[in-house]
Amino acid sequence: MSSIIGFYSLCLSSIISIIVLIPNSITNIKIKNFLFLCRCSTLFVCISFLSLVFAYVNSDFSNFNVFQNSHSDKPLIYKITGVWGNHEGSILLWLCMISIYGLLYSLISKSLNDFKILVLKIQSALFVIFAMFVIFTSNPFLINSILIKEGLGLNPILQDPALAIHPPMLYLGYVGFSLVFSLAIASLLKKNNDQDWIIETRKWSMISWGFLTAGIALGSYWAYYELGWGGWWFWDPVENISLMPWITGLALVHSLIMIRGEQAIEKWIVFLAILCFSLSILGTFLVRSGILTSVHSFASDASRGLFILLIFFLTTGFGFLVFLIKSPTKKNDLNLLFINKTSALIINNILMIIAVLTILLGTIYPIIIEVITNTRVSVGGPYFNSTVLPILLPGFLLMSVAPVLSWQTNKIQKFKIYVIFFIILSAVVCIQSYFTNFNTWGFIGLILGSWIITASIISIFLRFKFSLSLYYIKIINSFIAHIGVGVMIIGITFSSIYQKEYNFNVTVGDKINIDNVVLKFESIDIVEEKNYQSLRANFLLEKKGQLINYIKPGRNYYPVSKMITTEAGIYHDWLKDIYITLGNNNNDVWFIKIYINPLISFIWIGVFIMIFSSIIAILKK
Amino acid sequence: MMKLQNFFKFFLFTFFITFSYTSFSKENINDNVKKLTLELRCMTCQNQSVYDSDSDFAKDIKKIVKEKFKEGLNEKEIKDFLTERYGEYILFKPYFSSKNLLLWLFPFVLLVISMLVFIRNLKKN
Repeated sequence: MSSIIGFYSLCLSSIISIIVLIPNSITNIKIKNFLFLCRCSTLFVCISFLSLVFAYVNSDFSNFNVFQNSHSDKPLIYKITGVWGNHEGSILLWLCMISIYGLLYSLISKSLNDFKILVLKIQSALFVIFAMFVIFTSNPFLINSILIKEGLGLNPILQDPALAIHPPMLYLGYVGFSLVFSLAIASLLKKNNDQDWIIETRKWSMISWGFLTAGIALGSYWAYYELGWGGWWFWDPVENISLMPWITGLALVHSLIMIRGEQAIEKWIVFLAILCFSLSILGTFLVRSGILTSVHSFASDASRGLFILLIFFLTTGFGFLVFLIKSPTKKNDLNLLFINKTSALIINNILMIIAVLTILLGTIYPIIIEVITNTRVSVGGPYFNSTVLPILLPGFLLMSVAPVLSWQTNKIQKFKIYVIFFIILSAVVCIQSYFTNFNTWGFIGLILGSWIITASIISIFLRFKFSLSLYYIKIINSFIAHIGVGVMIIGITFSSIYQKEYNFNVTVGDKINIDNVVLKFESIDIVEEKNYQSLRANFLLEKKGQLINYIKPGRNYYPVSKMITTEAGIYHDWLKDIYITLGNNNNDVWFIKIYINPLISFIWIGVFIMIFSSIIAILKK
Repeated sequence: MMKLQNFFKFFLFTFFITFSYTSFSKENINDNVKKLTLELRCMTCQNQSVYDSDSDFAKDIKKIVKEKFKEGLNEKEIKDFLTERYGEYILFKPYFSSKNLLLWLFPFVLLVISMLVFIRNLKKN
C-alpha cells in the first residue's frame, strides 16, 4: 500500500513540477499560485519519501527495495537509515532535498518576484530531470511479485551511527549546490544589475559547504574506526569525488567575500557555481556507474551510469552554454597588488582550482588509460600527496595573514610584530624537531599549522577590541575558520607522520608495555546482540599502575548477510589515540595491531571549528 | 620597511619549497620496506596498500620486497621487478615516464602558467 502511495505521489510531484515549467506568457499564472504549485510538488515528494520510510519501518517486504535492503531483526534506527543505505532510496532522498532547497529558498529569499520565479523554475527543471532518473531507472517502489516474509538485510558495515547520518549530510551539501547553480544561471538569464543574487548565493553556498564538510568528516571518522586500517583518509576515488566540490565550494565562498571589497568578479563566481554542481553530479555518476573500484560501489549498473552521464552533460552543458552566451560583460578592474587582499584571494582561488583539476585528473586517469591502451594503472595516495600538497602549500602560507591584508594597499599594519613572532615560532619548531625524529613534512606541517594559528590570534588581538558578544565573534569569524584549519593541519601532520605501529601475538593474561602505558589482555568475550554476534578482546589500559580505561577491539558477525566486520578499539585522549585492531587467532594466540595516533583529535576539533565558523557566517548579514 | 616586507614574503615562499626536498633522516631496511610497500597496491583488496593489508597477497609481496632489499637491489629495481610480474597496476604512484607525462606535468604546468598570467596582470597595475 505504502509503495503505491509513494509511487503515485512521486509521479504527481513530477507532473506538478512540469506544469511549473510552462512559460508564464502561456499560462499567465499569478505569483501566489505559482508558489502554491511549487509547494505542492515539495509536499508530494516528501510524502513519497516518507512512505518509503514507512515501508522500511514496518518491514513491508512486498516492496522489492525493502526486501533487498532490510531485515525485520534490525534495530529501528538502522531500519530508518536503511532507506538511504541503497541506491534507489538515496536518490529519492537526493530528489526530496532538491525540492526542499527550492521551498526554503522561496520562503527566505527577498528577491524580486521575477528573479525568484526564474530560480524556482530552474530548480524545478533539475527536479524533473532527477525525478525521471528515479522513475525510469531507480524506482524504489517496485512490488515484489511473490509473497516473502523476510528481507536480505542491510550491508553490516553501513549499520553504524556515523554512517547513518553521513549520507544525508553529504547530500545536503551536494544538493545545496543545485540551488547555487540555479541562482547563478538565473542571474545570467536575467541580467539584473543589482547584486542581490550574490548575497543570496553567498548564504546558500555557505550552507551547502558546511553540510558537505560535516558529511565528509563523518565519512572519514567512520573510515577511521570501522575499516581498522589506522588511518582516516585513503584517497579513495569516492573520497576524491567529494573533495572536488568541497574545494570548489571553498573557492566559491572565498571569492564571494570579494563583494565586500566591491570587486566582485561575477564571471568567476558564476563559473565556480556551475562547476560546483557539475562536479557533484559527475561524482554521483562515477560512483553509481561502477566505473571506479571503491568501497562505495554498492550499486553499480551500466544503464544508470549512462542516464547520469546524460544528466551530467545536459545540466553542465546547459550551464556552461548559458555562461558562454550570456556571460557578464561588466568588467571590473581588479586592484591587484603584491600583495593585497584581492590578489591573495585570487591566488587562493587559482591554487584551489588547480588542486581540484589535479584530483580530477588523478581520479579519472586510470579510466582514460584503460580505454585508450587497455592496460590498467593505479593512481593512489602517493601521487596525490606529491602533487596536491605542494600545490596547496603556498595557499596555506598565505591564509595565515590573508584576513589582515587590506583591499587598497599592500601594507600590513604592525608588520614587525608578525615578523618577530614568526622568527620566535620557527626557532621553537626547529628546537622541537632537533630533539625528536626529524621529518621534513612533519617540520613543514607543524610550522605551517602553528603559524596559521599564531598569526590569526595576533591579528584578532591587534585589530579588534575584545568583547563577549555575538558581534565580536562575527567580525573575527574568518580568523576563527583559519584557526580551525591550522589546528587540523597540525592534527593531520602528527597523526600521519608520527604514527607508531606495533604488532603483537598475545594470549589472555599478557601484558604489553608501550609508550608509557601498560595494556593488559584480560579476556575474550562473545556476546549475542540483537542482530549480530560480537567478539571482543578486553584490554585494560593502565598508566603508572592506575586503571584508565578499557579498550575493546573485536569483530562482529552478522548471520543474515554472513559478513564479518572489524571493530577497532580506540581509547581517545586529547593528545593521542590508542587504536587496536584484533586479527586472526591461532589456538589461543591472537594477533593484534596497535597504532598510537598522536594529536588525531586535533583533526576533528579543527573540523568542528570550521563548521562552527560556517554557521556564524550564515548568520552574518 | 617596504623592502624588508617584500623580502620577507619572498623568503616565506621559497623557504618551504626548497626545504621540502632536503631530508636528513637515516634509513634502514625496514623503513625502506615500509616506504615502498606503502606505494604498492594490494591487488586482492579494495584500494588498500600492500603495507596496510594483511591478505596473503600482501604478505607475499612484503616478503619479496624485503628479500630484494637484502639482496642489495634498490627501490627502482624492485619496482621494475614487480611491474614486470604484475603490471603497472600495482603501483599507486605511476612512473614518471613519457606515457604518464600528462599525469605528472599537468598540475605543475597549470601552476606555472597561472602564476605567469597572474604576475603579468600584476605588472599592468
